[in-house]
Amino acid sequence: MRSLLTLLCATLASAASLNIAILPSLHLPNPSLLPPSTHAVLIGPPGVRYDAALRRDNTLKFEALPEASYLLTIYSRDHFFPPLRVDVSKVTDGAEQQTIEAWQTFRGNEWSNKGSPYGSGTDALSIQIQASAQKEFYQTRGGFDMLGFLKSPMILMGLVSVVFIFGLPYIMDNMDPEMKQEFEEMQKKGPLTGSQGAATQMQNFDVAGWLAGKK
Amino acid sequence: MLLPLIAAAFLLAGSGSAVFTDEAWNVDYHYALLGQPKQSTSFFHQPNPSSRASLVYTLSERGVLGAVNPRDGAVVWRQVLLAGASAHNASFLRAGEGQDVVISGIGSQVAAWSAADGRQAWSVDFPGPLEDVEILELVDGKDTSGAKDAVALSGGDQPVVQRLDGATGSVKWQYQLSGTDVPYQVSASTTEVFVISLHKTILGYLKLKVTSLDPVSGHKMDEHMLSSENELATADTIVTVGANSASPINAWTDSTHSVLKVNIMGTKGISSFDIEKHGGEAVERVKLHAPYHINSLSHFLVHYETATSHWAEVFHVDLKRGQVEKAYSLPKLAGRGAFSTSTSDANVYFTRVTSDQVMTVSSASHGVLGKWSVGGFNVAAANDETAEPIHAVSEVSIRGDTVSAVRSAVLLSTGDWVLLRDGSPVWSRPEMLASTVSAAFATPAEVEALVQQLEAEAHSNPIEAYIHRLTRHVQDLQRLPAIIMSLPQKVVQGFLGTSVDGDITSDSFGFHQIIACATQDGRLIALDAGNPDKVLWNQQIADLQPGQTWQPSVSSPKGGVVEISSKASAGVQYNASSGEQLVSILPIDVTADQAAQEVKYAMHDGGLEATVDSSTTWHFMPTSGERIVSLVPRPLNDPVASIGKVLGDRRVLYKYLDPNLALLVTANDAATAATFYVLNTVSGAILYSNVHTGVDLSSPISSMLSENWFTYSFTAEASGDSPKGHQLVVGELFESLVANDRGPLSSTANYSSMQTGTEPFTLTKIYQIPEPISKMAVTRTRQGITSRQLLAVLADSSAIVGIPYGVVDPRRPIGRDPTKDEQAEGLVRYSPVIDFDPRWYLNHQREVVGVKDTITSPALLESTSLVFAYGLDIFGTRLSPSFSFDVLGKDFNKFQMLATVAALAVATCVVAPLVTRKQVNTRWQFM
Repeated sequence: MRSLLTLLCATLASAASLNIAILPSLHLPNPSLLPPSTHAVLIGPPGVRYDAALRRDNTLKFEALPEASYLLTIYSRDHFFPPLRVDVSKVTDGAEQQTIEAWQTFRGNEWSNKGSPYGSGTDALSIQIQASAQKEFYQTRGGFDMLGFLKSPMILMGLVSVVFIFGLPYIMDNMDPEMKQEFEEMQKKGPLTGSQGAATQMQNFDVAGWLAGKK
Repeated sequence: MLLPLIAAAFLLAGSGSAVFTDEAWNVDYHYALLGQPKQSTSFFHQPNPSSRASLVYTLSERGVLGAVNPRDGAVVWRQVLLAGASAHNASFLRAGEGQDVVISGIGSQVAAWSAADGRQAWSVDFPGPLEDVEILELVDGKDTSGAKDAVALSGGDQPVVQRLDGATGSVKWQYQLSGTDVPYQVSASTTEVFVISLHKTILGYLKLKVTSLDPVSGHKMDEHMLSSENELATADTIVTVGANSASPINAWTDSTHSVLKVNIMGTKGISSFDIEKHGGEAVERVKLHAPYHINSLSHFLVHYETATSHWAEVFHVDLKRGQVEKAYSLPKLAGRGAFSTSTSDANVYFTRVTSDQVMTVSSASHGVLGKWSVGGFNVAAANDETAEPIHAVSEVSIRGDTVSAVRSAVLLSTGDWVLLRDGSPVWSRPEMLASTVSAAFATPAEVEALVQQLEAEAHSNPIEAYIHRLTRHVQDLQRLPAIIMSLPQKVVQGFLGTSVDGDITSDSFGFHQIIACATQDGRLIALDAGNPDKVLWNQQIADLQPGQTWQPSVSSPKGGVVEISSKASAGVQYNASSGEQLVSILPIDVTADQAAQEVKYAMHDGGLEATVDSSTTWHFMPTSGERIVSLVPRPLNDPVASIGKVLGDRRVLYKYLDPNLALLVTANDAATAATFYVLNTVSGAILYSNVHTGVDLSSPISSMLSENWFTYSFTAEASGDSPKGHQLVVGELFESLVANDRGPLSSTANYSSMQTGTEPFTLTKIYQIPEPISKMAVTRTRQGITSRQLLAVLADSSAIVGIPYGVVDPRRPIGRDPTKDEQAEGLVRYSPVIDFDPRWYLNHQREVVGVKDTITSPALLESTSLVFAYGLDIFGTRLSPSFSFDVLGKDFNKFQMLATVAALAVATCVVAPLVTRKQVNTRWQFM
């Protein structure tokens, strides 16, 4: 009721109007598919609130806005829109004309922290706005995924060791005899294995002798 | 001791909440309602002039404009034009022939809406309340191409008629009505616009003043007064036929409904017809039905209603001679009936709908063109009540000389809106639920009956109990054949996952609770939360006169019983399952603690006053200039599983749990400040208070209190460095902020609010939220083990969100990352902004419009809470805030499990001989 009164007073005093056009964007390729419940709300000082329904030409219109600083929010079923700050003020003191300006605003920040300007005009302002994101309502269940299961590192490690345990003797058996000999030779020469390998030496280390000072 | 651990386990598991793809549309239910349609604002119309498919449009009593698909009853689109409208609000809805817009008028706004998708084309605000809106079909006898203009009449201090451009809504001309006459209606013929106003004579009677205007320029052409003698005392007995009928007429009756006077608009002659008395009963209502098309025959039907019967007379207007003649009459039938007018080319058809038949006649003669019997409307009604048609709109298909099909959208006396195709109901919409003002969950009486039997066995001596039990089992055996018969079906359904959790009698999860809804127009309606497609029962419980309102409150004092109480009457109880009124005096529960004293508190002189045994114990008076906005007590049934919060290092923070807490909100209009108090309702002590300045007091301030935490939200104006926008405050009360310490309460085993006043330690956090919350509720589970979700109604998004408590936890660390222990609790770093994740939307892609309140009820399963929201739409769902840990969800793949078992069985069969052979071989090789 109060906002209605303000509105009536405003019609007599001022004529600032705001026209918001919704442009196609990545998230919303065709704004004509927006549901008819899409609407924009301007919140002014306490008690002042205007609500505009989406029009056929994908615009939202506010007429006869009195001087104030407004928060503009566009509500739509499937999309998010960025919040805007809209200021309506007199061009000069005592003048009939009004300046109307719009900026991006950031929720949770001080009101003076304005983002990029959307435009300004005298008595009338047309701005263009794009959807910032699409709403994802549904959570898919983390069902059993064979590929994901196989991709997990534990399973990969297990699979590799299985391949070694079962595959290596098989490969060894099927190896060309010369290659096999070469391979065995290589294994003997390896730093860890073989009679001179570190591992063999460690295993054969004569602790008692060493303690007795045997050279 | 185990419970805190379990609670901690849930916290560790993370109290996520989301709507799962497989549960959406299955677990939840939604009635997208419009409210009861009005006859004058309902019609069939083709949204696309090039196609023959039509939709049913209505502007309901609740101020909602909507288009309904006549095929399945689904809402194509809707717009809430006036929130909080009632049947008394004048509203208008018109559609020009062959137009792709519908034009609405309600309050002081005229708006045009795209008929196909509900987008606004234009809107115009008038200085005063609207009295009438019409469409100018023809101007100067020519059919204008493009959008047709509208004429609107507004009242108030400066009554004015305006012609609005059909394409843009701009004003083409306006005519200021002068004098003290009350504007009543606007009407148009092919060449003139008529404004009818009511002129009050010295004796207090009304006379009709007809002013005719030039449709092109808006200049006054003529003005005359109709001599209605002393017949019209009020405007209620005037029946007029608006614009665009071939010959608009004025008609009225005297207050006793004994004579009908008809005047053809634009002429001064008045035809008078005596209303026949059928059977001596007084005629209660006279309605006029005429075609709304300019090139159809100028015939109209007058519908007479008495308390028990109805009949109709058809009149023809002779335009050349300027005379009205009675053509024929339709016989009197018992009960109520509805008439509707349809046109096909120039022909006019009247369809009569009664509770047992649908009949169509031509306006030219009384021969019946089509007649279908109605088997029933397929709606729930009380036993002694028959659903009768109140009004109807119809669409007829004509083939040759006969009516091949007729579709009628009928509003029934039960409040259902039903579509009859050739007499058989196709769909029904429970529009009476749109005016629900109070609702409550109740256990079905069947479930309660078993509980009572078991209790009876527990409280009798063993032999009696044994006999009782034996007889009960013998009785149960009678149901065995039916159970065996349904067994294969159940197995198949369970296997395919299509079963709907059993029926109401074999409900093991407690999902089948009865929701009783009391409506503004005095009806009580019951739904089954587990099977919400059907209304269980629906009955008129309060006989309200037109214009009378009541404030019912529904509750369920015990299982199987629904209680209605209002200011005027004490509680009346009903059986929850059948709706029968319980007349027997119910035994008074003697188990109530006699020693306990009841503290009652109520609003008194703008403050709160608490009394014990009729003596005042405490007063709460807000400071001067403040008024109480709301008072939210802690719910009566609010089980808490754990008295403490288990921290990450296994220490405990003790919650301040007091059953007698309430959150009080006061507002100071001069200072635009809101104050929030947490009160102890027994002692009257203020446990916590906080003032917020720059609060928008005209926007909703919602608040909620549960367990040991409270929350409220409001809209704040920017001041200094503070942001502008909507805020959510969450506070949690603790016995002490030191872990493993109960503070002053540690030494006492029992304590009383009356004697000791211990003050809680309160942690609060403020969050910035993207939109205002109009109402808050909290999920409730049986034991309170499951973590809670804050349910917030978002009016602007037409949604209900379930905010997990972890997101708004006041213990979120500020300015630093959480420590390992805090991480283990599930706490994340505080950030002042919360975005409502669309996955928290309980209604997901649906739009739940006009929700006034949300109620919750625990199911038998600890994990699950039932949610029901009402207002305009009806929405319900089941929530598992900590996921469904005690029931197999839809994600449990029965096929996969069986396949795994089968694969293992096959593998065992294949491998077994191999293993045996190998074992035998090894023995032989090594021994």
